[in-house]
Amino acid sequence: MDKKKAFITAIQNNEGLIYKIAAVYSNTIEDRNDLVQEIIYQLWKSFDSFKQQSSISTWMCRVAMNVAIYQLKTAKRKVTTVPLDEQFSNFHDTENSGFEEKLQLLRQHLNNLNLLDKGIVMLYLDNKSYEEIAQITGISETNVGTKIFRIKEKLKKQIIKNYNYGTR
Amino acid sequence: MELDDLKNTWTNMNNEVQQQPHLNTEKINQMTSSKYHSRIKKIAYPEMAGIFICITGVAFTLFNFSKLNTVFFQATAVVAIAVLLLLSAISWISIRRLNVTGDVNKPYAATLKNFAVQKIRFHKLQKINVTLSYLLLVSIIILLPQFFSGKDITRNNSFWIFAFSIGYIFLSFYSKWVSKYYSNSLRQAEDLLKELAAE
Repeated sequence: MDKKKAFITAIQNNEGLIYKIAAVYSNTIEDRNDLVQEIIYQLWKSFDSFKQQSSISTWMCRVAMNVAIYQLKTAKRKVTTVPLDEQFSNFHDTENSGFEEKLQLLRQHLNNLNLLDKGIVMLYLDNKSYEEIAQITGISETNVGTKIFRIKEKLKKQIIKNYNYGTR
Repeated sequence: MELDDLKNTWTNMNNEVQQQPHLNTEKINQMTSSKYHSRIKKIAYPEMAGIFICITGVAFTLFNFSKLNTVFFQATAVVAIAVLLLLSAISWISIRRLNVTGDVNKPYAATLKNFAVQKIRFHKLQKINVTLSYLLLVSIIILLPQFFSGKDITRNNSFWIFAFSIGYIFLSFYSKWVSKYYSNSLRQAEDLLKELAAE
């Protein structure tokens, strides 16, 4: 299989993951579409550096999360977006409201976390092992465990706080 | 909702995308083409407009330099040119930094550290920008009447009142507003750096 074909297959197999990462790190549909494009472009540019020491989805996760952070610098300063075509732009607008609803729910919880915790939670939600999370983030497995424990506690407190506020 | 409930939501989101896959070969090919990509990167128009204005200001000042007949006015013009060039340089550096995507294969924590450091640097640049803008404002007020009517505004007492009292008050309010506007993101960047240092 040639390089381009292998790349396209890998992207199609991990399409959901790329969309979810882009969705977590962006606030608008335009930003999300731009981020998906940027992630795919950067994945292609660095496809040769994938050394198969980890799974392709682990490697894609690391690249996508790094690209998302680099894109945060430009998110507020962007003046134009370039949609691929109408169908692409409207995908999440009209036809996939289930995705948007679930995304809103996730955002409610994840937006109160800092960028490191947000990244760790996202990998945990994606069923990555502590070893894989450590590989992607560059922090030790022990620290990953500690952080996930603390994040769970933080989320619980947040829910109790929201509940108390709602019943007042 | 606990973290494990969120996990179900996250997994279900996969189904939503898989029901309607839309990254076909043609679209992926479009996204990976550098010609297409270069169009996405046009994000720095305000900075470029700023540089254009500054360079025009420098050209205008140099062109009219012969109209300045005292050392004081010439020194003011030199200050104005220096400030305009500095502001252009800052904008240029900002554009370059914006367009640079670093090593995407690095661990996420390393990218975050770099992001937080850049953010803190950006805030420092903003502070320098505010001070430079004040200097530029004062020098422009001194120079423009000279350029257009040969009038020496510095002989007018109300100018000095404006430049060093009202101007200063404006500067302090403006810099406080800028700091307040960015303080939250600056605090987040500093907290993130502390947390990463503890890892």
